[in-house]
Amino acid sequence: MKIKKWLSNLPMWLYGCMLLPLLAFGLSKQGTSYFSVLDIPRIWTDEAMKDWELPNSNPAYSAQPVTEEFYYNLPERVIYKTYPVYHPDHEPEGYWDWLHEQEAEIVFDESNLITEEDWIKAGELLFDYPIDTLGAVINIQHVRNPEFYSSTGMPLTPEGIMPFAQWVVAGKGKVYLGNLSCAMCHTRVMDDGSLLKGAQGNWPGDKAFAFALESDGVSETGVQGITNILFGSAFVEGDPHGKLMASGRESILEAYKAVPEGAFGRQGTSILYPPQAPNLIGVKDRKYLDHGGLGQHRNIEDMMRYIAMNQALDFLNFYGDYNSLGLTKERLNNGQPIFFPGTYDRHSEAQLYAIAKYVYSLTPPENPYKPSAVSERGKIIFAEQGCVTCHTPPLFTNNKLTPADGFEVPDAHYDKYDIFDISVGTDPGYTLKTRRGTGYYKIPSLLGLWYRGPFLHDASLAKLEDLFDPTRLKDDYVPTAFKPHDVKTKAVKGHEFGMELNEMDKKALIAYLLTL
Amino acid sequence: MDIGYLNIVVAPWRSSRNHCDRCENPAFRNEKCNLWRELKFIALLLFLFFPLFLSAQTFKPENPIQFKIKNAGITVDGTISDWEVEVDFDSKKLDQSSIRGKANPESIQTGIKLRDKHLHGREYFHIQKFPSISLESKSFKAKGKNAFVGIFELQIRDVKREVEIPFTLSQTGKQQKFKGEFVIDRLDFGLGEKSLVLSDEVRIFVEF
Ligand code: HEC
Ligand code: HEC
Repeated sequence: MKIKKWLSNLPMWLYGCMLLPLLAFGLSKQGTSYFSVLDIPRIWTDEAMKDWELPNSNPAYSAQPVTEEFYYNLPERVIYKTYPVYHPDHEPEGYWDWLHEQEAEIVFDESNLITEEDWIKAGELLFDYPIDTLGAVINIQHVRNPEFYSSTGMPLTPEGIMPFAQWVVAGKGKVYLGNLSCAMCHTRVMDDGSLLKGAQGNWPGDKAFAFALESDGVSETGVQGITNILFGSAFVEGDPHGKLMASGRESILEAYKAVPEGAFGRQGTSILYPPQAPNLIGVKDRKYLDHGGLGQHRNIEDMMRYIAMNQALDFLNFYGDYNSLGLTKERLNNGQPIFFPGTYDRHSEAQLYAIAKYVYSLTPPENPYKPSAVSERGKIIFAEQGCVTCHTPPLFTNNKLTPADGFEVPDAHYDKYDIFDISVGTDPGYTLKTRRGTGYYKIPSLLGLWYRGPFLHDASLAKLEDLFDPTRLKDDYVPTAFKPHDVKTKAVKGHEFGMELNEMDKKALIAYLLTL
Repeated sequence: MDIGYLNIVVAPWRSSRNHCDRCENPAFRNEKCNLWRELKFIALLLFLFFPLFLSAQTFKPENPIQFKIKNAGITVDGTISDWEVEVDFDSKKLDQSSIRGKANPESIQTGIKLRDKHLHGREYFHIQKFPSISLESKSFKAKGKNAFVGIFELQIRDVKREVEIPFTLSQTGKQQKFKGEFVIDRLDFGLGEKSLVLSDEVRIFVEF
């Protein structure tokens, strides 16, 4: 009796403290998971979403995300076991039938996650898990067609696995092709066939999409419709995507095919100004996400927000009164689900946390380019040429945003964001004419250049040598990687650093860059 | 940028020099030069009435202001070439002596054009808002033969701070040659922010 009374007089927080050791020592499995979940922040609050992203370069059209209420009403994603997709010529015998014999197996269960390693491992599983089985990019008939591989130049592993999509078994006989795992765009098949997860991906995604549209015989209106959903941004000056749509089916398909491996027209960006697929190895240290720095990255919650938004609730964003799916605000909020990839369900907070933990844990492979006398000379040139100011060691970025040509930095931004107030003069299309455009380009990290490419935000240059080649500044230049579908030549302007060096010095500089 | 000319307009009697670089420059020719002629006239009048003031001279030194700063272990050499000084210095009357300088940060050069442009911007000199740098002596002390230390007020951006500048003077006839060297912490003046690679200290050399 006495003890009970004494206990009832204790403040609540002391009760909490008394429970903590029990939870920490993991007396019961349920207890530990409860403890972990407590740790995980709630990310999609109206408050947090208000100023997490930078405004659009035309602030009247800054993204308005769905509300907290809408978000938390979405069902959580169930994560099934997945199976690799083989090139038809490499598929083990009986594999297809065997797949259809398998039962669904749910593989993500947060109550099993105790240690940091557990979370990272679960995160890797989620990284490889497709959020779409509706055929968002490609579907069964494509990956089971050998022509798909030859016409897209699809990289494969030595076993003949196409690592960018997975088979999802959602029940016996229910075998779906899964699209839009992180691995789809953020995995690189290296020259030796090994997989480098998180590296600048080399999935020829837009070529694959063009193949799908073409081989399925999708009509002109169909092609226009989906292209508009992905990239439509009627509010930007000159409406280049509207013009692309008006140019007709063939021309739109050409635009998809023009996007090289290593870049991808992610929703809200563009195939006219396609973003380079970023390297996620080292992303933990970057302060802004996306080439325009759209998403601030101040802590793990921001990373979780980024994942939630891009997989793929940004289809539900309003830009002014514009929504690319053609939704009205009434339709959005009338309680009926919106059946479009990534818009009718969401990752749970635990899932987001696990993915973020995994992405943070990515480390680069051992660099075969070792420092040498030549690279040491390049290191000095790197300092002399002023590269260090922007690409500051040890991250090889100063983590700042540079305004693109044509964008005037609003005064208020100087206090809010990290601005390096000088334009490097690269193509402003992506950042001025897309839904994700902010008016800025962030200064990219130069770490891992040796296993990456193509370079620059629009993946226009295949090799580092091209970056320092002054002929790229001329109008008769043929870009070595991304070249818009409707031109034969195009100057790759801007970033005119180190271009006047003599050949020896350029070699030394590049030798140094490859050691990073 | 019109630094220096302001001084001529506000305090014409301080100048006995009658050359005007920018009068040769067509862009500056129009009214300013007419004004200049008038000012010369005023200067002449003043000369008659206040000959004493004339020992002060405003002129544009031949050598630019030079500075050195370490960036990633490499010393970057820079100059500010558009500047002028006004000297009224008598080593025997230190308490009546003065040295003033005014420099145009727009003329900064570091060997990389885009870097210079960035230095013009708001993180550094912010030339749109702060078009000039100024230096004004407060007091002098002798430190041996032809060697002195001056306390100056240095203004960069909107920050004024006292700096101590040791300098030497070599005098041949009426010709005086000054040479000084000092170090500032760029962060004291709001020039950029703390950086992993760019040192805070800037070494500055002046000669006129
Ligand atoms: C369909 C392709 C695709 C998928 C799927 C995808 N991404 Fe991306 N991701 C991209 C592209 C392209 C960009 C660059 C976008 C831009 O700059 O506009 C990007 C950008 C990012 C960034 C910003 C990195 C930086 O440095 O700016 C992060 C972080 C990221 N993705 C993580 C993920 C994670 C985690 C997943 C899975 C949950 C995922 N992505 C799924 C294509 C994809
Ligand atoms: C004023 C800041 C600044 C300076 C100085 C600078 N860079 Fe950059 N660098 C950038 C920006 C911004 C980008 C991205 C531009 C874009 O993609 O539009 C970039 C991109 C790059 C890339 C491509 C990276 C990728 O992932 O595609 C390389 C390589 C590079 N810089 C190397 C250098 C070298 C070497 C020097 C010196 C010779 C240098 N940079 C000087 C700002 C700078």
